[in-house]
Amino acid sequence: MKLKHLVFQCARPNVQWIIAALQTVESKNLEQITVRPDADTFVRTIKEPVHQQWHDLDRLLLQFWTSHSIRPKVTYETGARRKDMRDCTQSLLPELTRRGLVDLVECDR
Amino acid sequence: MYLFARVTFNTRRFRIESWMKAFPDPSNSPAHHTRSLTIHGRQLVTAAGADVGRWIRAFHNVEHLHAGTRGLGDDQVSLVPFHGLSPSIRSLRLESTHARPSEVFGLICSFPLLEDFALLVFGYGDEVDGWSTPPTSPRLTGSLELRSVVGGIGPITRLFLDLPNGPNFAKIVLACVDETDFKSTTDLVLGCSDTLETLNVSDYLQGVFLPVPVLDRYLTAC
Repeated sequence: MKLKHLVFQCARPNVQWIIAALQTVESKNLEQITVRPDADTFVRTIKEPVHQQWHDLDRLLLQFWTSHSIRPKVTYETGARRKDMRDCTQSLLPELTRRGLVDLVECDR
Repeated sequence: MYLFARVTFNTRRFRIESWMKAFPDPSNSPAHHTRSLTIHGRQLVTAAGADVGRWIRAFHNVEHLHAGTRGLGDDQVSLVPFHGLSPSIRSLRLESTHARPSEVFGLICSFPLLEDFALLVFGYGDEVDGWSTPPTSPRLTGSLELRSVVGGIGPITRLFLDLPNGPNFAKIVLACVDETDFKSTTDLVLGCSDTLETLNVSDYLQGVFLPVPVLDRYLTAC
C-alpha cells in the first residue's frame, strides 16, 4: 500500500463516512489527511446536530497525529471568508485547533 | 514565458478564425511555441473542420490540451481530428456534454506520453463498439480525475483496465453519482494499488452520496 495522501471532499455536514473510512486505513505510508468541506455547509454545520460527529473526527485525527505524526489539513475554496473558516475549524475541531495541529489552507481545487 | 505559450480559443474572446487571419500561413505561425491549448464550445467544432485542420496541426508542441464540448450535441463534434495532435501531450482535460467511451479512449491512446487525464461529463454513452484495445498504452502515470454529473462512467473506467499496461496513476480523484459506477471505480483503484499515492473522494454530487462500504472498498483496494 503506497497511499500517502487521502482527501475527503464533503458537501454535507455529516462526516461519519470519513470517520468510518479512517478507521479502516492501515497504510504505513500515509502522510497527509485533508478534509475539504463545502464552505457554506461548513458554516451551517456549527448549528446542526452533527456537531458531535465533527468532535469525534477531531479526536480521531488527533490520534493519527499522536500515533503516526500525520498533521491534518482543512482546505477551503478560494472566495470563502478565511475568518469564517477559521471560526468553524475552531468550533468543529477544537482539540486540534487548541494544540495548533491543523493547517487551514485556501486552495482552488 | 513566450507570448503564445498558452492559447485559448473560445467564441466570446478569441476565435480560431482570428488566429487564421493573423497567421494565414500555418507553417509559419507561432503555434509551435504553444504548450497549453484550450478550445471551448463551438470553437471545437470549427477546429475539427477539415479546412481548419492545417492551422490546428501547427500546434504540434502542445503539452496540455483542454477541450470543452459543453453545450454541444454529441453528434456535433468529433474528437478524431485531434488524435495525435502533438506527440508531446502529457495532460488532457475533457469537459463534455456527452462522452462516448470509444471516442474518448481513441483520443487518450493517440498520445503516447499522456500522464494526466481529467474528464468532467454531463452525460455518458456506453458505446464501445468498434473499439479495440491498442497494443501499447499511454503512460497514464500521473493523475486521473473522473467527475460525473449523471453517472455511467463504468464503460470508460473499464477501458482503462483493459489497456495492455493497465493504468498506473499516482493520483485518483473520483466524484461519481451512480451506484453502477462504484464497482468499476473500485476496480480502477485496485488496478492502481501499486502506484496510487493520493486518493481524493467526494461524498456528494447532485444529491447522491458515497456509501461508506464503497469507500471502505476503495481503501481496502489501496
